[in-house]
Amino acid sequence: MIEFSRVTKYYDQEIVLKDITISIDKAEMVFLAGPSGAGKTTLLKLIYCAERPDEGKIVVAGWDVRTLKQRTIPFLRRNLGVVFQDFRLLKNKTVFDNIALALRIHDMHPAEIKEDVYEVLEDVKLAHKAQTYPPHLSGGEQQRVVIARAMVAKPTVLLADEPTGNLDSDTSFNIMNLFRDINTRGTTVMIATHNEGLFQGSGSRVIHLKENEIDMETVG
Amino acid sequence: MRIFIFAFQTAFKNLWIEKWINFLTVLSISIGLFILSVFGVMTLNMDEVLKRWAKSFGLVVYINDDLSIQKENTLKAGFEKDPDIIGVKYISKDQAIKDLRNIMGKESSILEGFDENPLPSSFELKLQSDLLMPDLVRAKALQIKEIEGVEEVQYGEKWLSSLNTITEIMKISALFLGSITFTAIVFVTYSTIKIFFYRRKDEIETLKLLGATRTFIRFPFLLEGLFLGIAGGIISSVGLFGIYSLITLKVPEFMPSVKAIIVSLPLSVYFIIPPAGAVMSFIGSLIAVGKIRY
Ligand SMILES: Nc1ncnc2c1ncn2[C@@H]1O[C@H](COP(=O)(O)OP(=O)(O)OP(=O)(O)O)[C@@H](O)[C@H]1O
Ligand SMILES: [Mg+2]
Repeated sequence: MIEFSRVTKYYDQEIVLKDITISIDKAEMVFLAGPSGAGKTTLLKLIYCAERPDEGKIVVAGWDVRTLKQRTIPFLRRNLGVVFQDFRLLKNKTVFDNIALALRIHDMHPAEIKEDVYEVLEDVKLAHKAQTYPPHLSGGEQQRVVIARAMVAKPTVLLADEPTGNLDSDTSFNIMNLFRDINTRGTTVMIATHNEGLFQGSGSRVIHLKENEIDMETVG
Repeated sequence: MRIFIFAFQTAFKNLWIEKWINFLTVLSISIGLFILSVFGVMTLNMDEVLKRWAKSFGLVVYINDDLSIQKENTLKAGFEKDPDIIGVKYISKDQAIKDLRNIMGKESSILEGFDENPLPSSFELKLQSDLLMPDLVRAKALQIKEIEGVEEVQYGEKWLSSLNTITEIMKISALFLGSITFTAIVFVTYSTIKIFFYRRKDEIETLKLLGATRTFIRFPFLLEGLFLGIAGGIISSVGLFGIYSLITLKVPEFMPSVKAIIVSLPLSVYFIIPPAGAVMSFIGSLIAVGKIRY
C-alpha cells in the first residue's frame, strides 16, 4: 500500500530524510517512532504529497508520487485520511461542518453526510459538540475532531501524526482502540509518535527514525 | 452537481459576510458599466444621425446633351443593375430647368434669355451605405465617368470625408473608452476576489489537503465574481433606464429640436449590460484565483 525505496528529502540543502526504504502492506498497522525533529511529519507529508521527494521512489495505493500530475493529487488524497499534527481545523466552521467538509469534497449526499458525521462524532465521543466552533474546544477535543475528520470518509490509508499528543491516557487508550478497530476493518494505519507508550505491547511494527535515517525496526 | 449547490452556499455566505467590500465593488462596477452604456447610447444616437445624413448623399451623373432616349434608357438600366447602386433617379433637361426656376423664383426671368435649355439631363444615384467611404466613392465616380454617354460626375467630396472623419473619431473613442472601462471592471473584481482569496488562504490549504479538486476550490470565488458583475450590471441598467426615460420624456418639452436626434433605445440594450458585467467580472475573478497548485 505504501512503498518507499531509497527516498531522500532535503529542506533547502539540509537533509531531513536519508535513504528511506519502507514497505507497508494493505491493512497493516505501523508506528513511526523517533525523537522530535527526526523527520516523522516530513515522511507522512511525502505520502500525502504535501512534499515531493528529492531522490527515490514513492508509491501510495498504486499511485507513483513522482509522476503524479497536479490535478490527480486530490484523487490520491481522497484515499487518505490524515490526522495533521497542527490540526488544520477551520475556525469559522462548526465541528460538524469541519468534518462534513471531508465528505462534501467527495460530492456525497447531504443526508448521508449527516449520518456519517454523527457516527464518527459518536466514536470520538463529541456528538454533543457538533455545533461548537473549534476555538471553543479544548486541545484534546480539537484533536478528536481532527481524528474524526480523518476517519469519516473511510479512507484506505489513515495517517496519524502524533494523534494523542493532547490526550490524557484514558482518551488515548480509547482513540488507539478506535484506530485498531478501523485497521481490522481493512484500513492501513500509520501512526507517527514520539510516545513509546503508544506502541509498547501492541504487537505492531514500529519503524524507528533517528537522525533522518531508519535506525531499526521492532515489534511493539 | 452537489458541489455546485455547496459552492453556491459558500459563495452567498461569503457575499453576505463581506457585504461592505462587496457593496463597494458592485457600486464601482455599476458606475463603470453606466459610463460605458451612456457612451454607447450616445454613439448609437450619433450613428443614427450620421446614417440619416448619409442617406441624403448622392452622385449626380450628367449625361451628354446629344444622347438618344434609347441610349439614356440603356444607361439607366445599367445603373439599376449595378449592385452598388440602390437608387436611380432620372432628371430630364426639362425637369432640371423647372427645378431651377423654382429655386430662383423671381430671378428666374434671367433664364428667359436662353433660346434653348442649357441644362443637361442627369441621373441622381444613391450608393449602398457601406460604400460611403471617400476612396470607394471616388473610385465609383471614376468608373461611372468612363461609361459612354456620361459627361460628368459630381458629388460632395468634402462633405463625405468629414462625415467619415466624424464616424472614425466616434468609433475610436468608443473603443478607447470601452477598453478602459473593461479593464477597470476586470481589475476591480480582480482585487476584491483576490482579497477574499487571501483571507481564506488557510481554508484553501486545508481543502487541498483534504482532497478538494481545483473546481471545488475555485467555484465559490468565480460565483462571487460573477454575482458582483451581474449585480453591478442590473444596477446600471436600471439607472440607464431611469435617466434615458427622463431625457426622452422631459428634454423635448423645452428643447423640441432634440426629439429628432434621440433614438428610442432597443430594450435589448438593458438586457445586454448585466451579462456584459458578468463576463468582465468573471475574467477578473478567474485571474484572481489563478492557477491552484497542490
Ligand atoms: N517546511 C520546512 N522547511 C524547512 N525545514 C523544515 C520544514 N519542515 C520541517 N523542517 C525541518 O525538518 C526536520 C524534520 O521535521 P519534522 O517535522 O519532519 O520532524 P518530526 O519528526 O515530525 O518532529 P516532531 O516530533 O517534533 O513533530 C526538522 O529539523 C525541521 O526543523
Ligand atoms: Mg511532527
